[in-house]
Amino acid sequence: MAVDAKQLAAERAARLKAAVELKEPDRVPFTGIGGDVIAAYAGITSYEFNFDYEKQCQAIIKYVKDFPSDQPVIGMTGLGNHVASMAFSDYPDLYPIISRVDGPTNDILGVDYCRFPGRELDENSSPQFIGREYMSAEEYDELIADPVKFCFEKILPRIVRAFRDMKAPEAHAAMARLALEKAKAGAAMRDMFRQLQELGYAPGGLSVFFAPLDFIGDQLRDIPNLIKDLRRYPDKVKAATEAVLEPLLKVSVNAKGPGVETAMIPLHLNEYLSPALYNEFYWPTLKEGILRLAELGMKSQVFFEGRHDAHLETILELPAGWGTAYFEKTDVRKAKKLLQGHTCIMGGIDVGMVISSTPAKLDEYIKEILGEMMPGGGFILAPNIGNLPRETPIENIRAVYEAVEKYGKY
Amino acid sequence: MREELLRSFVDMDEQEAVRIARELVETEGGAVAVLDTCKEAMEEVGRLFEAGEYFLSELIAAGDMFNQIMEFTLPKLQGEEVASLGTMVLGTVQGDVHNIGKDIFKVMAEASGINVIDIGIDVPHEKFVEAIKEHKPELVGMCCLITLGVDSMKRTIEVIKEAGLRDDIKIIIGGGRVSQAVMEHVGADAWADDAARGVRLSKELLGKE
Repeated sequence: MAVDAKQLAAERAARLKAAVELKEPDRVPFTGIGGDVIAAYAGITSYEFNFDYEKQCQAIIKYVKDFPSDQPVIGMTGLGNHVASMAFSDYPDLYPIISRVDGPTNDILGVDYCRFPGRELDENSSPQFIGREYMSAEEYDELIADPVKFCFEKILPRIVRAFRDMKAPEAHAAMARLALEKAKAGAAMRDMFRQLQELGYAPGGLSVFFAPLDFIGDQLRDIPNLIKDLRRYPDKVKAATEAVLEPLLKVSVNAKGPGVETAMIPLHLNEYLSPALYNEFYWPTLKEGILRLAELGMKSQVFFEGRHDAHLETILELPAGWGTAYFEKTDVRKAKKLLQGHTCIMGGIDVGMVISSTPAKLDEYIKEILGEMMPGGGFILAPNIGNLPRETPIENIRAVYEAVEKYGKY
Repeated sequence: MREELLRSFVDMDEQEAVRIARELVETEGGAVAVLDTCKEAMEEVGRLFEAGEYFLSELIAAGDMFNQIMEFTLPKLQGEEVASLGTMVLGTVQGDVHNIGKDIFKVMAEASGINVIDIGIDVPHEKFVEAIKEHKPELVGMCCLITLGVDSMKRTIEVIKEAGLRDDIKIIIGGGRVSQAVMEHVGADAWADDAARGVRLSKELLGKE
C-alpha cells in the first residue's frame, strides 16, 4: 500500500471507529451506497456480476473509484449458507469455503433457497433467498438435543441438492469441486482487496451472527410456521433458541479474522413480533449473543429491519458503547433522542428517495439529515437498505456523495 | 356464540375460535354467521394492527385461523349469495420471487370481501395485462420486497398503459420498500407497506369505505 493510500485507509477506519465509540470524528463516516447498480454502472448484467469473478472485481473497483466513501461498496455477491456454517462449525478453516453461496458455488451445490440471475431469475435480477419449511414441528427435540449434528444430518441434505446423500460419491465430488472453485474465487478476491488497498481501504469485513429465533425462522421452520409455533409450542421454541446460541456464536468466531472485528447481525423477525413475543422469544438470546460477542472481542452492528419502534427501548439494556444500531424504517432522529451517548446510530438515507427523487431534492435531504444527526457524534451515514437497483439514476447517486462531501464536515 | 367467536378470534385464542366455529357452522344459518363473524374479526385485527397494538405475528396468526375456519365453512356456503366488494388482480412483480407479504395481504383482502385473483410471484409485465383483460378487475395490486421491484412496478404500469388499460383500473403497490415517493415514481394510485393499510386503502379505492 502506498503511503497516501495507507494514510487514507487509516483516516477512514478512524472515522468509523470514532462514531462507534460515540465520538465526533473529523467528518461524518459514510458507508457509501451501491448494490445492483454497481453492475449496471460497469455495463455488465447481474448474471455476469454474479458468475464472473473478474468482471465482478472490475465493476466494484470502477464504482469504488468513482464513488469513494469510508467503506468500499461491494454490493451483493452471494447469499449466506448458514446451515452449512453451523453444520461445519467445528471446522473453522472451512468457514471461507462453506459459509457463502455465489453463482458458481450454487451451480455445484444446488442450494434449495437460492435464486440467481441468469439461472432461476432474469439475467438482471438480484440474487434472492426464498426460505421454506426445512424442519418439521416434530423435530424441535432433535434440534434442541444437538443443533450441529441435526443441521448436518437432517437439514443440510434437505437444503443442498449435492448433499442429499452424504455417503454418495456425488456429495464428495461436490465438496472437492467446491474447494477448487473457492480457490479460484479466493484468488480473484485477493486481487480485488489488493486493488482496494491501493485505493485507501484497509483489508477487512464483517463477521456475522443471527438472533437465534431468526436462524430458526429463516433457515429451518419458515416464518409463517414459526409464528404459529410461538403459540403452539412456546417451550420448545424457547429451548431451541437457547440451544442454537452457542453454535451460532462459534460460527461468528470462525468468521473473525484480521480486520474483521465486528459482527453484522441482520434482524428479520423483530418487526413481526409484538413486544410481548419479542421480549419472551427473541430478545433474551439476541441480547445474550451481543454480550457474548463483546466478551469474544467483537462489537456488534445490528441491522434492525423494518420498523423497530416498538422495541427501541430494549437497546438501552445493553451497556453503553456496545456497538451500532443500523435502522431501516425507524426514524433515525427519533432513535437519536433515545440512544444518544449510548449507541452509535447508522442509516439515514432512504433508498426509495435515491431511486425516485432529483439531485436538488437529495442535496436538501442529505443536508437536513446531517444537520440533525451529526451533532454529538455517534452517527454513521448509510442507506436504509443496502441495495440500489440497476435503474437508479447515476446523477442521484452522485448528488448524495456530493452532498455528504459538502455538509459532512464537523 | 357469535360474540364468543369474535372475542376468541380477536384475542388470538386459536383452539377456542376453531372449536366455536365448528359448532356454530352446524346450526341453522350458522355458516353465514361464521363467515360474517370471522370477517368482522379480521377487520378488528387489522384495526388493532394499524393502531400499533397488534403486529405482523398477529396478522399471520389471524390469517391462518381464518383459512382454517373457512376450510370447513365455505363448503357449507355453496348456493348462498356472498357479497363481493370488487375484484383485484394481485401479484409479485417480475424479478422478485417473494410471497410472504402478498399472502398475508391476500387473506386479509379476501376476508374483507374483495375477490382476489392471485397471479403469483415473478409475474411478467404482460401477464398482468392478460389477467386484467381476462378478469376485468377494478383494482390491481403489485407487490415487491426487494428494491429491484420498484422499477419492475414502473415498467409493469407502463406496459398496462401501452395496452390502453390504465384508465379502467386503480393500482395499489405494496411491500417492505414502497413509500409515497416510490408510488409517485411508478405512477400508482396508492401504496402500503403493511397488509392492514393495504386492505383499508384497497377498499377506499373501490369506493367502499
